[in-house]
Amino acid sequence: MRKIGIIILCFIFTTLIYFTYISAEKVFYSDFQPPQTSALKEGQYRLVLITQELETPFWDKVAKGAIEQAQQEGASLEVWGSYGNNQEDFLKKIELAIHSKMDGIIVQGLDTEEFSSLTKFKAASSGIPIITVANDVPIEESLRRTYVGSDQILAGKMIAKELIADMGSLGKVIILGESEQEYHQQQRLQGIQDILKDYPNVETLYAETSDTKEQVITTTQDLLNQLPDVDAFIAVNANNAGAMIQEIGRRSRVEPFYIYTFDDGTESFSLLTQGKLDGMLEQSPEKMGELSVNLIMKWLTDETVPLNMDGYLTDIRIVKAIDM
Amino acid sequence: MNTIQKKIWMLASVVLLIMLSIWLAFTYYNQKTQNQYNDILQRYLIMNEVTSASQQVITDLNNYLLNPSLANFEQINMSQEEIRYAKHEVYNLINVENEFALTNYINLIDSFIETTNRSLKFQSEEEVEASTKEFSEATRISKYISEMTLTVIDTELKTYDRFYREIIEQSDEFKKLGIWLLLLIIVFLLLLTYWFSLTITRPVQQLTKAANELSKGRFDRPIKVESNDEISFLAKTFDQMRININNLISEIQQKAQLEHELQQNKLLLQESQLRSLQSQINPHFLFNTLNTLSKKAYLEGAEETSDLLVSVAGLLRYNLKRLDRSVTIHEEVVVLQQYMEIQKARFTDRLDFHLYIDESCLHIEIPGLTLQPIIENAVIHAIEPKEDGGSIWFRVLDEIDSVTIEIEDDGVGMSKDKVTQILEERLVEAEGHSTGIGFSNVVKRLRLFYGFEDIIQIDSTEGHGTKVVLKIPKTRRIDNNEEAPNRR
Repeated sequence: MRKIGIIILCFIFTTLIYFTYISAEKVFYSDFQPPQTSALKEGQYRLVLITQELETPFWDKVAKGAIEQAQQEGASLEVWGSYGNNQEDFLKKIELAIHSKMDGIIVQGLDTEEFSSLTKFKAASSGIPIITVANDVPIEESLRRTYVGSDQILAGKMIAKELIADMGSLGKVIILGESEQEYHQQQRLQGIQDILKDYPNVETLYAETSDTKEQVITTTQDLLNQLPDVDAFIAVNANNAGAMIQEIGRRSRVEPFYIYTFDDGTESFSLLTQGKLDGMLEQSPEKMGELSVNLIMKWLTDETVPLNMDGYLTDIRIVKAIDM
Repeated sequence: MNTIQKKIWMLASVVLLIMLSIWLAFTYYNQKTQNQYNDILQRYLIMNEVTSASQQVITDLNNYLLNPSLANFEQINMSQEEIRYAKHEVYNLINVENEFALTNYINLIDSFIETTNRSLKFQSEEEVEASTKEFSEATRISKYISEMTLTVIDTELKTYDRFYREIIEQSDEFKKLGIWLLLLIIVFLLLLTYWFSLTITRPVQQLTKAANELSKGRFDRPIKVESNDEISFLAKTFDQMRININNLISEIQQKAQLEHELQQNKLLLQESQLRSLQSQINPHFLFNTLNTLSKKAYLEGAEETSDLLVSVAGLLRYNLKRLDRSVTIHEEVVVLQQYMEIQKARFTDRLDFHLYIDESCLHIEIPGLTLQPIIENAVIHAIEPKEDGGSIWFRVLDEIDSVTIEIEDDGVGMSKDKVTQILEERLVEAEGHSTGIGFSNVVKRLRLFYGFEDIIQIDSTEGHGTKVVLKIPKTRRIDNNEEAPNRR
């Protein structure tokens, strides 16, 4: 009887040891490693990539290329920006970057006065180099070090050439532009018009719209009313292509129209794969990111001084719906 | 040796140790959690400090711009100092994950300070417009600082999110641990106490049981105590005592047994010796023949021969009759005289026999036929070899509690060897004794009869004669010895 009691007691004891051990382990053992404290790394360059259109396929690629390059070069890089073309926020980010004394700023160009004053006075007076990427601004207005991205005039020309090749030299074309036209859009437009003016049988209608969806739809309606027998559309601002095509689709089938745009819109790729776009100008966003970081590092380390003010151009090509 | 005291000390120290370790663990845990909380709070406080300090600078700057007094200037210097200090503190918060953000943060603070300084400088140069512009810039930066503080705190929260949750889980688990630990210690102490009390009480119980056994007289069971303390020592000595007592008892028993056997042996020996002695005695036939011869001699007129034959017959009858029981000294003396008459008839003048008897001693009992063989011995050794004969003295003397019987002759005496041979009852009997009973036989019988060795004493010098002294006690010492012959 006594022996059984002792055995039971021992059993309870062992069980208790087990549970106590488990419990104690939970209490005293913590697998959380607080991030290692580190002193300021003096030598490391801090770069920032600022864009108006965070988390769009195009800018994600730019950011990816930039980050990879920064890692290779041993610089730290962050991607800042605003969502959905929020200019105020975008400018604030640039100001913040300047006040934060970044070593270099890679920025999507914005052809506004505030942008110019920020880059011209603040950044330049703080000695922070600025490189515009993807979208350029005129150098005299921004004092940018250089531009990395596509040759937008050439892009416009290529789109126009593609249009002519597809449509032939006879037809009516609606070119949908931006009311607050940015520099790169101007360049594109210029490129398009440069080509089209050689084809007198191609009638062009240029219209401007602001970039809200409703506005795009209204403008498209207007244009269709004005030019019911239109043959082709070119959306200079790729972001407007979606709404435009949607509106066209409401009137008639989309397929007969020749519709072209650029790849820096949020919907560009999906529209192309759906076959709603006939052709898209594809740029090299990753290459842009890479090259911009590479160049700014070169500038910072005095390897290439000065940078080529005209800019470093990246590849562009036309992707057609048929290819997809 | 493990003493009981040591055991108690051990128990106490085990309990103490447990308490101490628990206390240490709890204190350690407390301290750890406290530090963690402090660290977390510290981080947030520092960041908050930056925000409030920057706002303070703006307020002071505003006051100074409106009213450029010395007091206000000092005020602004103070608040600038504060924000510098706060900035310095922020350096400590930098880690791998927030390095970039915090660097920006610090630089932002720097920009802020620079802007305020510029504003002050323009103010001192009386360029009001520039100063105001810088002031509004500073205000904006201050706003950025506030925003960035929130962002950084947000990042901190994200980084440490798992950590905070872990802390909460741990403190929940801590309560459980307390309960487990309490139960564990209770059971452990129960076991320990049980074991401990057992190590003390079990030996005591065993010892008690052993003592009970001993008190009941069982000395043969070994005392076993499985312990290594004082009790075991006690048990060992107790067991030694038991063994000693046991040995003593068995020794006593053995002795008693031995003594009993010895006694038995002695009795048997005496009996057998008496029987063997009796078997040597001449048959009745000789006695009857001697009587017939005596009558015949008397009828033929040879009275002297007849008397001699009567003496011889008397001697013979005495031999047949008296040997199996004790006789008085008187009876023995009568036989002695009859014997001497026979010897006088043989040796005539050569034998000179002197008799001295204390009459008061004649009733004392002695074994039969003890004196006659000694006298006969004296005759054989003192009278026979000497041509001109010799003298024999026979005395019965009364001592207080004993009777001394002396037989003395002036013959050739005996060598010392012979004396010892007689006394050690080793003498080979020579032929020629009338009764067939030799000296040694007498000595043997006397010793058996009285039960002690020095009943007989022989003084002898070679050439000067021999003196045999018997010391007969008046009362028999070992009474039960008398029973032996009567038991037949």
